[in-house]
Amino acid sequence: MKLEVVSRSGRSIATLDVNPDSTVAELKKKFHGLKKTYYPARQRFALPVKAGETRGQVLSDDSKRLSDYGLAEGGKLEFKDLGPQIGYSTVFFWEYFGPLVVYPLFFFLPQYLYPHIKAPAGGTQHALVQKLACAYWCFHYAKRIVETFTVHKFGHATMPIFNLFKNCGYYWGYAAYVSYFVNHPLYTAPNQTVSVACLAAAVLAQLGNFWSHLILAGLRKPGEKEYRIPKGGLFNYVSCANYTFEIWGWLLYSVAVQSIPAYLFAATGAAQMTQWAIAKHNRLRKLFDGKDGRPKYPRRWIIFPPFL
Amino acid sequence: MKPSTAYLALYNAAQACGWAAILVVLVIGVTQRETPEQLYDRAAPLTKLVQGAAILDTLHAAVGLVPSSPAMTLMFWVGRGNALFAITEPIAALHASWWAVLMLGAWAAAEVIRYPWYAAITLGACPGWLTWLRYTMFIPLFPLGTLAEMALMWTALPELQSRRLYSLGLPNPYNWAFDYHRFIQIVLLLYPLLWWQLYSSLLRARAKKLGGSKGGSSKGGSGEGSRPPAADILRQETRSKLLKTQ
Repeated sequence: MKLEVVSRSGRSIATLDVNPDSTVAELKKKFHGLKKTYYPARQRFALPVKAGETRGQVLSDDSKRLSDYGLAEGGKLEFKDLGPQIGYSTVFFWEYFGPLVVYPLFFFLPQYLYPHIKAPAGGTQHALVQKLACAYWCFHYAKRIVETFTVHKFGHATMPIFNLFKNCGYYWGYAAYVSYFVNHPLYTAPNQTVSVACLAAAVLAQLGNFWSHLILAGLRKPGEKEYRIPKGGLFNYVSCANYTFEIWGWLLYSVAVQSIPAYLFAATGAAQMTQWAIAKHNRLRKLFDGKDGRPKYPRRWIIFPPFL
Repeated sequence: MKPSTAYLALYNAAQACGWAAILVVLVIGVTQRETPEQLYDRAAPLTKLVQGAAILDTLHAAVGLVPSSPAMTLMFWVGRGNALFAITEPIAALHASWWAVLMLGAWAAAEVIRYPWYAAITLGACPGWLTWLRYTMFIPLFPLGTLAEMALMWTALPELQSRRLYSLGLPNPYNWAFDYHRFIQIVLLLYPLLWWQLYSSLLRARAKKLGGSKGGSSKGGSGEGSRPPAADILRQETRSKLLKTQ
């Protein structure tokens, strides 16, 4: 069948001759053959807007057939260029690699990173909490990199390349901001017993977070695309249990080091995760409404009992 | 009338009255050739009150009472609050500056249009000319106000540094240092970008609201006694948004 591809302003871009039973992925490959710049990951196709819709339905499932979307001879497709794309794992690696390297710089090279502070005779002495905090921070980001390549299963393969710079700016920037003050020569160490206890609890929170990631990765069998109700561990009580543990980890880290930038970092992360958690929770509740044989999504906390 | 509608109408009307009083005080003072210091002394107390109370705009947005973005309204409130409370108030020399008068005047002139427009929209009775004013007068007033704020921050820098206002040095139990003087230098660099973000979104909103149907609203409006189409669309949109948030 012949399909007409138009831009979002209505201008005709190309005409594609495809088999109605071919998949969206095959359509994208064909389009890439015509327009070399737009590799498949950059392509987004949508059906024309129907009555009652504000936007046309997106051909989001690469494995679905064109006929499943109701496309027939003479059908129109709206094309959007998503811009240069980059793999999720690539972005995750670089955004986590930065903090892994940047934070210890202030710990190990104070003579270069605090040049305005005279180095004390015999070199800088660090308090126990500063040493443990550095170890915890590095452990956390090393864990994240390992998870990226061994545990996480990504729903989308790519994201816009601009996100690489945005995310790295956030992670690397905050790493420097927190590390500068926690490893400062004029750092005031808080009560050591409290700090060590908090960091120990933070490690437990990280284990909880890792466990949650394992549960999430095991929700779908390879090739499955549907959403599932998360079960097991803290997920029985909280929709986004992985975020719960993550927030606890950073909260405990902040209490351990007693530094405002650490609290700011924890708060910023918590705010972003809360946004995501609310969206995910609502998506799951809408999907699992208990009708037509679908299970009903159980009553759960969203992200951080007893508050939300 | 719903209680929330009555509350919003009252709030916006109160803000409108406050800003109108400020504008009147400034205009009368200028015509009587008062010095900037006298003008500031007259207008500042009420300005601090209404501008401080304007945090409610953010609260209303956060609970969904109005369709505005809480983040945008908060950014706006913090920017103005910084210029008025943190920069101008504590530095006596700035009270005697025409920049301070310009800032208060530009703010008042803009708000004396914006708040009545909000009140009218809330009550579902907004005349086309008010919509036109709301989406047009910002064009000169917003840059003027921003310019005045930047000029005041620039002038304040030496005193911020010498008095180390709002600054924290190490060592301290919060393990944090903050240099407000350096912070304002960075803010001054970012101000044009932040201003442009807000300004361009207002220009886009203007194109949408006043553009309306071709040749409709721009022809001087109420020929047959019916309201210009743009204001109607606007009222309908806002009404349905308010209804949706209930």
